[in-house]
Amino acid sequence: MDLHSDETLWYFFKKGETSAFTLLYKKFYPQLHVYGIKISNAPHLTEDCLQNFFIQLYEERKKPRVIKNLKAYLFVSFKRRLIKELQKNHNNIPISEAQFFKSNFTFSSEELSIHQEIRFLSTQTLKNLINQLSPRQKEVIYLKYYSDMNSTDIAEVMDMNYQSVLNTLQKAMTKLRIASENQQIKSILKKS
Amino acid sequence: MINKSKFNLQYFLDDTSFENWAKSLNKNDIAYWNNWLQNNPQHIETAESAKAIIIGINFEKQFPKIDKVNEELAKILPKIGLEPTPKKASKKSRASHKVVYFSTAAVLLILMSWTSLSLFNNHNTTVHKTNFGEIIDLKLSDGTSVVLNGNSEISYNKDNPRLLNLKGEAYFIVKSIPSTNAKFWVITNDLKVEVLGTQFHVNTREKKTNVVLDEGSIHLELNNGDVTKMIPGELVSYSKESENLIHKKVTLETPYALWRGGTYVFNEIPLKEVMFNLELTYGVEVKYSSEHLKEIPISGGIPNQNLKICIAAIEKATGTRIINKGNILQVQKDPIN
Repeated sequence: MDLHSDETLWYFFKKGETSAFTLLYKKFYPQLHVYGIKISNAPHLTEDCLQNFFIQLYEERKKPRVIKNLKAYLFVSFKRRLIKELQKNHNNIPISEAQFFKSNFTFSSEELSIHQEIRFLSTQTLKNLINQLSPRQKEVIYLKYYSDMNSTDIAEVMDMNYQSVLNTLQKAMTKLRIASENQQIKSILKKS
Repeated sequence: MINKSKFNLQYFLDDTSFENWAKSLNKNDIAYWNNWLQNNPQHIETAESAKAIIIGINFEKQFPKIDKVNEELAKILPKIGLEPTPKKASKKSRASHKVVYFSTAAVLLILMSWTSLSLFNNHNTTVHKTNFGEIIDLKLSDGTSVVLNGNSEISYNKDNPRLLNLKGEAYFIVKSIPSTNAKFWVITNDLKVEVLGTQFHVNTREKKTNVVLDEGSIHLELNNGDVTKMIPGELVSYSKESENLIHKKVTLETPYALWRGGTYVFNEIPLKEVMFNLELTYGVEVKYSSEHLKEIPISGGIPNQNLKICIAAIEKATGTRIINKGNILQVQKDPIN
């Protein structure tokens, strides 16, 4: 929907317009902030890293980059930077991206709206189910429904092909759907 | 084998009418897909997966507050040698430099496209206006949702968002207030729509106003003083100039054009009318290499958030080639066909 305006925004950002920097910052800081904390579970480190990310983005604005979609580009480059930072903090022990996601990437009950189209599951149950998904499934769900990204952009952020994104999404949502159906069957059996 | 590859997850996800079924949005689509699934039980599993993906999960997004963002922004600006420009200073430079004026205006345009333009003038009027090809989702202070299509405008008194003027095209999901039975009014050149809680679509292009009701109940007060009541699934078209009133039920057989959730849904509408919609929404001009192309009928959902995708969808639906040169769309017969 705002693909066009992101392109224009980026154009003026590269030209060094203050207002373009401000707009870009205000538009993407909130999303990158939440995404970063999900990955790192370390608010301070994430915020410092995010500030440095924006500084570098501005200072290197003239550097030629291939950008298909600004949002996906920002997500993927911020993620890379953050993971590097986290690895530095762990001294010599090499920790893979997957391990960070496994231990940190979780959702809280407050993050789930009480209005869900997936019926028959309490917010608590739904939260537990989502948190039990694989790290990749959680990230797909996050990018799709929390950050409102389309599957093409998700593929770019997660370095997967389009079909794998769909398959991952399908697996994750099928787990939730089956849990919902089982709950529905249970509630029908209780009544009769 | 062919069937297996055709009705895959992507097939369902790409189908606007299927999406309506998944979200229980449109009676026709619901009836169609319920029936289809009954006759094609082997695809139920894939269809249910697609449905689960479409309805998704509703998150209560915990983004940092705007104050926090501004605070962090204020810290970073001096570090990169940028200072927030005071408004008066930027005005001055605009007046003195044509080049600067141009780029400032362009940046302001960006602001419009993602926050929507909210003008507050002296009369306490709020105006939301979209550019060509831009769609915005609005939430009014009373809880009503409005999706405003490109090149359209709504305006209302700040204190009363439940009485608004519309130019162009919009889809409304009106928040009902049962305690006070507060009504909601949409005023166009041709008529007034009086609403309780409901979902409907209003289009004021082409010197007439079209209203399509999805849910609830509304009254229309035409500019000649007549009052008419609508029930869900009906279309009313009225022009002040010609005093021509059409009031009919939208069925699978009647030609109609609806716009909902960023998608145009057409049923047996000739290409020229579809392209006319595009002219108004994107500010382009359409030319045809041959007259008969204008009459090719289109049915189905055309996504219209993006001109490129929109054109690709129309090409596919009509078997034509549409060449985009500057702001002119040239419609030709597809050489392959």
